[in-house]
Amino acid sequence: MSAEETDLGALPFDKALSELETIVSALEGGQLELEESMAKYERGVALLGALQSRLSEAQQKVTMLIGELEVEPTEAESE
Amino acid sequence: MAEDRTLTVTEAMTRAKGALEGIRVSVVGEVSEFADKPGYKAAYFTVCDSGTSMSCLMWRDIYESSGVSLRCGMLIELSGHFSAYLPKGRMQFIVRSLRLAGEGTLRLQVAQLARRLEAEGLMAPERKRTPPRIPSRIGVVTSPRGKAVHDVLRTLRRRFPLAEVVVAGVAVEGVGAPDEIKRAIELCAAQGPDVILLVRGGGSYEDLMPFNSEVVARAVVACPVPVVSGIGHEPDTTLADMVADVRASTPTAAAEASAPSVAELRETLRRERRLLGRALINRLDGVHHRIERIQQRPLFKEAHALLGQREQLLDSLGIRLRQSLPRRLGVDATAVEVIRGRMVRIGRTLVERHSRRVDLAGCSLRGLSPLAILERGYAVATTTSGQIIRDPESIREGDEFTVRVARGRIEGVAKSTTREEP
Repeated sequence: MSAEETDLGALPFDKALSELETIVSALEGGQLELEESMAKYERGVALLGALQSRLSEAQQKVTMLIGELEVEPTEAESE
Repeated sequence: MAEDRTLTVTEAMTRAKGALEGIRVSVVGEVSEFADKPGYKAAYFTVCDSGTSMSCLMWRDIYESSGVSLRCGMLIELSGHFSAYLPKGRMQFIVRSLRLAGEGTLRLQVAQLARRLEAEGLMAPERKRTPPRIPSRIGVVTSPRGKAVHDVLRTLRRRFPLAEVVVAGVAVEGVGAPDEIKRAIELCAAQGPDVILLVRGGGSYEDLMPFNSEVVARAVVACPVPVVSGIGHEPDTTLADMVADVRASTPTAAAEASAPSVAELRETLRRERRLLGRALINRLDGVHHRIERIQQRPLFKEAHALLGQREQLLDSLGIRLRQSLPRRLGVDATAVEVIRGRMVRIGRTLVERHSRRVDLAGCSLRGLSPLAILERGYAVATTTSGQIIRDPESIREGDEFTVRVARGRIEGVAKSTTREEP
């Protein structure tokens, strides 16, 4: 499956951003057919939207592999 | 052995120098002044404690072979003997050997290990990997206690909440720490992160020692993903820092180095959006200009002028065609008409001629018929076998014969025959 067919939601952030940059370069190159330029542009806009909304909605997931995270000490307690 | 004779200064100092050189000791003290200029034959420094200080001299070859780089504040252990510098009448300590005391010993060990690892090429810049610009998963190996882990988590949350964080919380101090840290790095790496942060907060030199261990240094080197270190505070530098792919000065700096910031990414996206829009507009403009250029060509601008000649040619051909067609047809029609007339005439003559011929043939046929001849009174005699009798010799006396007349037949018997010459 080519990157273009991949569902945007499943695409890792860096892959999506790389694809967007590739699209911009390709469009700037001006070597594409007009129809392909339009299709690439649409894909680029979709990628942009997906990336922006992901940035706004992200909630960090933290997993403890080993050890137990202690509550952050106050300044006085810290080393 | 008291002497009555009064000594010169030189004599007195020479005698004192001799006495001082007999005092051979080992001394521990802190370096308070240090001068090591390339031109000098010796390194000159002062060691002190809370009570007093003493000037020291160390011949260059001995100093350089000691492997110690003196700095102010270092605690050192020296052995040698006292002496006097006669031109200045000053007492000094001639250092025969020098080593770091306490932490100094540790530093020396670390320095030796560092030299060994460096000789193996483990600190070489070309060995160092670059962490990905945008990680999906970030591993963190650190103590689950203290500020460092929270500094890292807070920084990552602020900068790049999109990445998943896996934390291996381990003891970073104590005898078992190096092996625990090694295991934690391996465990973390098994989770398939894009980068691993190896961090701890500030501490004394001894506190940071696990990060100066060969075990941890080799675990960092063996780690399959890039390692970003942030151990202690500037200017602490551990062996783990030296072999790490990226060395950050603090845990927070390590977190910053391992993830892009959302703000930066937003700016990147804004830039990409501008570029994307402009790229398409440029593309469309390009197409538009090409079309315009084509439109400007005389072919499209003055189509009539260009086609006029051909159009006129076409017109005149049309006229000639229109004119030529009826004329030709007229000629043909006349010819056809002539032929038709001839055909009709020929047809008529043909029929007349044939019907005449048929009439004539009918008359002839009627004249030729033997019946018509019999009608005129002639008769035909035939033998019994049907042969016409033309010669009397074809029949004998007594032979029967038949005579055919116009209205019937007569059977007879030959009485006699007579042949007559015509």
